[in-house]
Amino acid sequence: MTTTAERQMELTLPMVPDIEIAAARAVGNLAREMGMSSERVDEMMHAVIEACINAREHSGCTDNRIYLRFLGTSQGDGSRVDIWVTDHGKGFDPEEARSRRPTPGTPHKRGRGLQLIELHMDEVDISTTKNGGTTIHMVKYEKKS
Amino acid sequence: MTEELKVAVERKPQGAVLYTKGYINNVGGEEIANRAYELMDDGVRTLLLNLRETKIVNSIGISILIEIIEKMIDKGGKIAFCCLTPVIHKTFQIMGLANYASIFENEEAAVKELGL
Repeated sequence: MTTTAERQMELTLPMVPDIEIAAARAVGNLAREMGMSSERVDEMMHAVIEACINAREHSGCTDNRIYLRFLGTSQGDGSRVDIWVTDHGKGFDPEEARSRRPTPGTPHKRGRGLQLIELHMDEVDISTTKNGGTTIHMVKYEKKS
Repeated sequence: MTEELKVAVERKPQGAVLYTKGYINNVGGEEIANRAYELMDDGVRTLLLNLRETKIVNSIGISILIEIIEKMIDKGGKIAFCCLTPVIHKTFQIMGLANYASIFENEEAAVKELGL
C-alpha cells in the first residue's frame, strides 16, 4: 500500500470575529478535493470552527493569532485529513475541562466545544502546556466504498 | 470578516415560522432571539425554525437557541426545528436541544404536526 501526501495548507489567521469561517472553508475545500463525502466535510468544518472559537475565547494569547495546518493524504483504502489548530496562549488542563463537561443530550448553554470536536472527528489529540500554548490535532478518515 | 445571518418571519394562523439564512453564531443567535422574543411578546406560542439555508452553527449560537427554547417553555409554548443538515441535527442532539424541541425532516411535516 502506498501513502501519498496530496494536499497541504498552512494558515495564520488573526483572532477576529468569524475568522473561524475562513478556516472552516479552507479545510472544507481541501477535504472536498480529497473526495470526502459532504457529511464528513461538514463534520470537519464544525470541528475546526469549535477549535478556533476555543483558541479565540480561551487561549489568552498575546499574539492574537491562530495557526492552522491541514494535510490531506490518500491511502490505498481511502483518504484522511489531519488538522492542527495551534495557539500560543496560556494552555489548559484537558482532563479538568472534560470533568466539567455536561452529559451528552442534556441542555447546557456553554462548555460543549471540545465535546463537539471529539464527536465530529475520528481522532483528537490535545497537546497543551501551561503558558506554552495548545495544539489540537484532529483526524478524519474516509474509507473507499 | 463577518457572516451576517438573515432571518425572515412568516406568520401562520397558529404561530410562526422563522427562516434563517447563514451562519448561526453569537450574533446570528441574538438575531434569531430578537425575532423570536418579538413574536412571543405578540402572543405566539408555537414557533418553527426552518434552517434550510443554514449550513453551519457553532456552540455559542446553539446556546442562544437553548435560551429561546427555555423562554418559550416558560411561557407554555413550544419550538421546533426543520430542514437540518445531518451534522447540525447531530450537533443539536449532542447539545441537548432534541430533548426540548421537536425536529422534523421538512416544513410540511412540521406544520402538520404542530398544527400551524
